[in-house]
Amino acid sequence: MPITIHPPKPPRPLISDNLPSDDSDSDSDTSIGGVDLGLPPKKRLTQFTSSPYTGIVTPGEIITPDPQWMRGHGTYIPPQTTDITSSLAGTITRTNKLISVRPLRARYTPEVGDLVVGRIVEVQAKRWRVDVGSTQLASLPLSAINLPGGILRKRTETDELQIRTFFAEGDLLVAEVQQLFQDGGAVLHTRSLKYGKLRNGAFVAVSGMGGGGGVVRSRRQAWTMEGANGAGQIDVCLGVNGYVWISKHVETPAELEGGGKTAAGITNMEENVSATMYSSQNDKVDTETMREIARLRGVITALVENGLRVDEEMLNRGYHEAVEMAMVDWNGPDDIYLGGERGEMLAAALTGK
Amino acid sequence: MPLDTSTYSLALLRVDGRRWNELRRLHAQIRTQAAADGSSYLEMGHTKVMCVVTGPSEPGPRRGGGIGGGAGGQSKDAEVVVNIVIAGFSSVDRKRRGRGDKRTQEMQSTVANALAASLHTHLFPHSQINVSLHVLSQDGSLLAALINAATLACVDAGIPMTDYVAACTAGSTSTYAANDESADPLLDLNHQEEQELPSLTVATLGDSDRVVVLVCESRVQISRLEGMLAVGVDGCKQVRELLDRVVREKGQRMILEGTVEKGTGLNDLD
Amino acid sequence: MPREAEPSLNEKQFVIQALQENLRLDGRELEQYRPLELTLGDQYGVADATLGKTRVLAKASAELTVPYTDRPLDGIFTIATELSPMTSPAFELNRPTETEVLLSRLLEKTVRRSNALDTESLCLIAGQKCWSVRVDVHVLSHDGNLIDAACFAVVSALRHFKKPDTSMEGGVLTVYTAAEREPVPLSWLHSPFCVTWSFYGEQGEIAVLDATWLEEQVRVGSCTISLNRHGEICQISKLGGTPVEAVALLQCSAVSLTKVKEFSTYLDEKLAEDAKRRNKGGLLAELSAENDR
Repeated sequence: MPITIHPPKPPRPLISDNLPSDDSDSDSDTSIGGVDLGLPPKKRLTQFTSSPYTGIVTPGEIITPDPQWMRGHGTYIPPQTTDITSSLAGTITRTNKLISVRPLRARYTPEVGDLVVGRIVEVQAKRWRVDVGSTQLASLPLSAINLPGGILRKRTETDELQIRTFFAEGDLLVAEVQQLFQDGGAVLHTRSLKYGKLRNGAFVAVSGMGGGGGVVRSRRQAWTMEGANGAGQIDVCLGVNGYVWISKHVETPAELEGGGKTAAGITNMEENVSATMYSSQNDKVDTETMREIARLRGVITALVENGLRVDEEMLNRGYHEAVEMAMVDWNGPDDIYLGGERGEMLAAALTGK
Repeated sequence: MPLDTSTYSLALLRVDGRRWNELRRLHAQIRTQAAADGSSYLEMGHTKVMCVVTGPSEPGPRRGGGIGGGAGGQSKDAEVVVNIVIAGFSSVDRKRRGRGDKRTQEMQSTVANALAASLHTHLFPHSQINVSLHVLSQDGSLLAALINAATLACVDAGIPMTDYVAACTAGSTSTYAANDESADPLLDLNHQEEQELPSLTVATLGDSDRVVVLVCESRVQISRLEGMLAVGVDGCKQVRELLDRVVREKGQRMILEGTVEKGTGLNDLD
Repeated sequence: MPREAEPSLNEKQFVIQALQENLRLDGRELEQYRPLELTLGDQYGVADATLGKTRVLAKASAELTVPYTDRPLDGIFTIATELSPMTSPAFELNRPTETEVLLSRLLEKTVRRSNALDTESLCLIAGQKCWSVRVDVHVLSHDGNLIDAACFAVVSALRHFKKPDTSMEGGVLTVYTAAEREPVPLSWLHSPFCVTWSFYGEQGEIAVLDATWLEEQVRVGSCTISLNRHGEICQISKLGGTPVEAVALLQCSAVSLTKVKEFSTYLDEKLAEDAKRRNKGGLLAELSAENDR
């Protein structure tokens, strides 16, 4: 990403009662500075409703000295006081009597049930360590994945020895947060056919649910959409942690069966699963689909760069807008590029400005 | 070139035209690098510093074998790791500083310990907060600028902290040798003043009088310490206001742009 | 690399609670040093300082070299600090730990940057010949407060040290051996000493002098103040740690001054004692008189 450094602005006037108000004062002032070390520090209580920056609190700002409130995330109470003080720069949220501060931006904090996209960082004896963009690595126990040859099989020592054949370092996967440790670490599982290793597509990381835009929790995090310009169907998987996977849609066995048959269907499915589930080989992806995957990726980065949220509705609208933009000014193979001005145009079209 | 301090007593103006208690222009920005967890850019006069914060995040498997495997990662608190790169073009004479330069190492550990005192590291067990500082231009008060930039970047990264750690330098108008008891204290020294006059770097926590960092590297009479410290602590409060303003303006803009939802006030309800 | 075992939670709490009651494990007052012992060697420039169980040996030496091209009028003065595995298995050779870097920076700032040694007097022929004075600091055992002990040892070694006498006649530089002429002491300007404070408590409100290793492990912050007996600060370093009230720091610096004066007097006594021991029956005076003839 480019480094943006704005040109210097004129100095802002300082409002500080510590500064001498007029020049004659400072000229005659030969004693030491304008502060008396013996004085206790002044209490700084900003009523955020009356401050010019409504709703923003910064670290060290006292939110309320009233003990009727309870402190939540992003706040602390200094010893020997009852002042709920912010420890983050962000906005205040209130749930009944609980006050918490939502940061302007932070790393992803996992919650049970979140759909996340992660990358294997480390393979241990009985579990994997997965980077999900959180403050700690999540862990995926061997017992929490679908083993080939049937969902209801017991985990054996052979599986432990072959742990790398399922997921190896660097593999991407989609999983769900199953439980949280006391210290905030997450345990994942992939015990559903929706989850598992990711193939046939592209990865993009944006900021996730920690604050500051990016991917937001919504009804649907993964869906299939029609590609334009003769491309096939495209799967989009928005990890709540801000990791996104866009890939060519592969028909799942259940869809192939049409969902009509029962017993035979399941056996078939199991065989299919064992064949492809942990494959590290991509299927053949045709050029049109690849282009549309790249376009979607461009749409996501453009949304993030322009400070818009990323969810299904936004992405669908953005994608159609991008396809239209490409049709209006056809400039050859570059039409999937959505950075800079083109990204701003897209964002403007979406927000209706 | 030796600094001419003889004119100070006439007009009470310093070489760059400031009065004793004036800061240089402090310009700062947060979120300069979109890809980083937190980033900042800070200018104190001609001292220019860039900072990038990565983390808190858990470092992957340690390179170099399994002996120390995870021994450092199992700590209850997050570890603050600071890395300072001083660009070769940052000062007047181009000097290459190696990795093992002791002065840089000392500054690294100072910034790391100063941040660790304010950040709520207990919230992130096994993690590491990587602070990477780049010095683009030096004109005095380097350590102060580094601390301020690192604080801003940590605020941007959304790492909970007790309060801002704001730093600035303070000096005294006459040299040590002059043994001038009536010497005035000075605020925020530039390179020229730092070379000639006694100086100290102070960092305080928020706008309290509690000192996190106090570094003095020049000879000075003990009687002058109180005055210098008082001016320094006062300057830190001014710096804190300026840093706070930078963060608020950024937050305000984010709310206007709709990136962040507006918060609820306590008085809005009930 | 074997890591130093950390004190357990209970151990830590015990020490801290005791400190809150103004008690220390070895029964000292909060602002009291352990007994400081200095042994000056038979050779000039060897000083062995012990502070409780902490023991530091410093050895000063001098050799003739060419001055640095950018400072042709100055001699060379270096302080080499090495923490060997002998001190603690946590220290490794050739890989300086943070403790070692900070210690050597502190000694450098305290003794070298404060111009305790007049480096100009070390120059013999501008741009061609000068003395290179080097102090090697060896930490023999580490039981806390390494900095104060090391600084005391370095200053003692340098004060005790005598370099061979030289003369310049008609552009010819002669260096005399100790047998020919009595060696001369270094031109010494002032004696700075370090005083290290350790802070305890939530707000760093308890200030303790001369912490032992256990106390050092549980402290929340520290501040080293270097002064000489004339009340001149050579260096202050509080490198992070829990914030401490500015007023408390000022009080610390005032107390430090009294401690430094004690160190200074003690060192002067020791040096006088040593000189007396060497100069039995005025033999020295006789020797130098012979040389003059």
